[in-house]
Amino acid sequence: MNDQLDITWQQVLKDLKKTVSTANFFTLFANTGLLSLADNIATIATPSTVVRDLLYKRFYKDVKSALDTQTKQDNELLFIVQALQQNSTLKEKSGPLFSADQPVRATHDKETSPVLKTDIKSSQPSMVGHLPRVRKEYNFSTFAVSSTNQLAFVSSQNVAQNPGQSYNPFFIYGPVGVGKTHLLHAIANHIYTQNPDRKIIYITSEEFTNEVVEAIKNNETSRMKRRFRTAALLLIDDIQFIEGKDRVQEELFHTFNILIDQGSQIVLSSDRPPQEIKKLEKRLSSRFAGGLTVDIEAPDFELKTAILLKKAEKYGWELSINVAKLLANGAQDTRSLEGLLLRAITVATSLQTDITEEIAMKALGRAAEEKRGSLHADDIIKEVCNFYSIKPTQLKGPKRDASLVRARQITMYMLKEELKLTLVEIGNILGGRDHTTVMHGVDKIEHQLGGDVHISQDISGIKQLLHV
Amino acid sequence: MQVTLKAEELKNKLGFINHAVSNKQQLPILLNILLEAEDHKLIISSTDLEIGIQIELKAEVKQTGKITVPAKTFSELINSLPADTLTIESDGSNCVVKTNKTKSVFATMSANEFPRLFEERGVLLASINAEELKKELNAVVFSASIDIARPSLSGVYVEQEENGFLLVATDGYRLSLKHFSAGKDDKFNLLEGKSNMIVPARAFKEALAIKEETGTIDLYVSLTHNQIIFEQGSTILISRLIEADFPNYEKIIPVDFSVVASFDREEMLKAVRICSIFARDIANVIKFSLQTNKIVVSAGENIVEVDSKIKGEENEIAFNSRYLLDALSNLPSDNINFEMTGPLNPGVFKTADDASYLHLIMPIKVQE
Repeated sequence: MNDQLDITWQQVLKDLKKTVSTANFFTLFANTGLLSLADNIATIATPSTVVRDLLYKRFYKDVKSALDTQTKQDNELLFIVQALQQNSTLKEKSGPLFSADQPVRATHDKETSPVLKTDIKSSQPSMVGHLPRVRKEYNFSTFAVSSTNQLAFVSSQNVAQNPGQSYNPFFIYGPVGVGKTHLLHAIANHIYTQNPDRKIIYITSEEFTNEVVEAIKNNETSRMKRRFRTAALLLIDDIQFIEGKDRVQEELFHTFNILIDQGSQIVLSSDRPPQEIKKLEKRLSSRFAGGLTVDIEAPDFELKTAILLKKAEKYGWELSINVAKLLANGAQDTRSLEGLLLRAITVATSLQTDITEEIAMKALGRAAEEKRGSLHADDIIKEVCNFYSIKPTQLKGPKRDASLVRARQITMYMLKEELKLTLVEIGNILGGRDHTTVMHGVDKIEHQLGGDVHISQDISGIKQLLHV
Repeated sequence: MQVTLKAEELKNKLGFINHAVSNKQQLPILLNILLEAEDHKLIISSTDLEIGIQIELKAEVKQTGKITVPAKTFSELINSLPADTLTIESDGSNCVVKTNKTKSVFATMSANEFPRLFEERGVLLASINAEELKKELNAVVFSASIDIARPSLSGVYVEQEENGFLLVATDGYRLSLKHFSAGKDDKFNLLEGKSNMIVPARAFKEALAIKEETGTIDLYVSLTHNQIIFEQGSTILISRLIEADFPNYEKIIPVDFSVVASFDREEMLKAVRICSIFARDIANVIKFSLQTNKIVVSAGENIVEVDSKIKGEENEIAFNSRYLLDALSNLPSDNINFEMTGPLNPGVFKTADDASYLHLIMPIKVQE
């Protein structure tokens, strides 16, 4: 079939789909095709006599009007029986008998047999498996170290090499996305590779809470106690969430004592130091602080760059140092850093190039764009005030000192430009000003933008503060 | 139209006519059957677009004409009527069915709306003994895929041979192949131009269900209309042909084997049935262990021994129980030779007394 005819016919079918019921469409129009349009006679192939007859009797008008609209001509229709090759990708559809690399593993049923599954499992050496809930790729070698997390890294290694001996309990705290969980996993993985038979439990405090609640509900506290109190290594992530949960804290307290007594290692992570976790029983917080407490700070610029290079390597890309620096500036914590990197990779993949500075800029730009969606009027007001060192109440107040007026008008302009708010809305936000006042302010700034360098510098400075 | 005939005869034929009545509600005309009264006969037709059926009945025709009636209610009525003569009358709008003591009125649709089933029979490809053909077809058709999304596999590959046909059906996991050769009364004509085609498995299955006393079945093919016709006695079955590439079946048929086991089909079928009860829980896996003088059929720890003559080295192979049951129920002979080379290559079932048939199944790989 000719390509042009094919396209026309696809268009006709698309139109017909709207007028003909779906079931009719699929039974009758499947495997039809336009063979020729010569002399305004449209020859249409149908799969069988019956279908041809039905189309001719019932759908002549529909097909004709759709075709006439498409071709902008008055056509006569001629339906004939002619089989069109049905599209089928034989290779993937013909089943295992016909796949090229014989012999094949035939899974006749979709679900793999339980027999097969267990067989596979038992045939693996036990070392190859990994811990439940612990990600294998989080180990010490994939952790990027700099001055902000050096202490935490070194002490984690120490704990992993001498579990239960050097620092017990080991408590890591720091803000989100600095690598607490990574270190916890790395400790677990390290101890596991040293001795796969040791009982290692990695759990979040949320799950720990659930287990305690579940155990109490089902009268199985003894079983739960046994489970936790026999561990050689217990890692609890985000321990701050047990705040205010007395029964859970009590359970943890006893478990804690027993484990420490028998020389098992305990590792905890939190977003703040133990004494700052409110509603935590004194006896617990003092115990938490009884071993080594280290903090990880938010990554500095060098670390962010290093992390980017490591992550890029993990995904199989090579980053130039300039690009890494560029991206590192665009994110605060490691998670958004990874998001940014993935974005750059996606852009580069779609354009089939390396990650150049240009690509990085693009990724940054798009990230900023998305961020803009979450921008709020209060943010703008806050940053304008920061920029001019004034208070929001002054900005919204009635005073009309020259410096205040300028800040106020710039706020109006930015609310209009960045958030596309209406003049009335802006007026309301800025202490109930009239919309004509706002209009005047916006106009004035727009006007000055052309001539006054200071204005545009101020605006771009504020924008930078807003990360847009 | 006005036509009189025996209710009993109509009843016998309507069952088959209903095989081609569409169950899709979208095209109302396809829920109807077409009645045509011509000289001394009543012609009944139905179609669901995939296949069409047309049957002629002897009848006393007082006035010719044609009309369509709703298939479901019409059949239900006819099946409920006493064995009596009945009269069908129509003035083009209503249709009235009368017997001695009953009178029923049907809503109708114009006969002009009913699609024509075929224009010409095409070339006579073969006249074959119906019994023979049906027996051989049974052993092939079950292997075809029921998945219409894979057009080529939902059909039976038919290739003309010197004095007969080659029939192949496969769903990608198993394959049946039969060289069907003409009996003494069978006639074959070679098609010009095209020597192979794919016939929907459904058409063959319906052809197997034709109930006629005439012993010969005629096959017509019209390539211009892309259709095949089975005609036996007064019944005509029309189907379209499938236009697709059939997979290269020749390359997957093993040419060699390292061990062959002969067994009795019935005995093996019983063994597989027993094991299949327990195979349900383990993904339907049934294992054959070929040992000296026996095949141990097993599903997990459940075993059944089947006497067998083994030639070659001992070996093991596992299959899906469903495919085994299908195969053992349909193999056309009771003396079966099972050939294999290893647990990863297709196992081949052959009839011991007839080299023209084979069935092969892809094994399931089971790790020890």
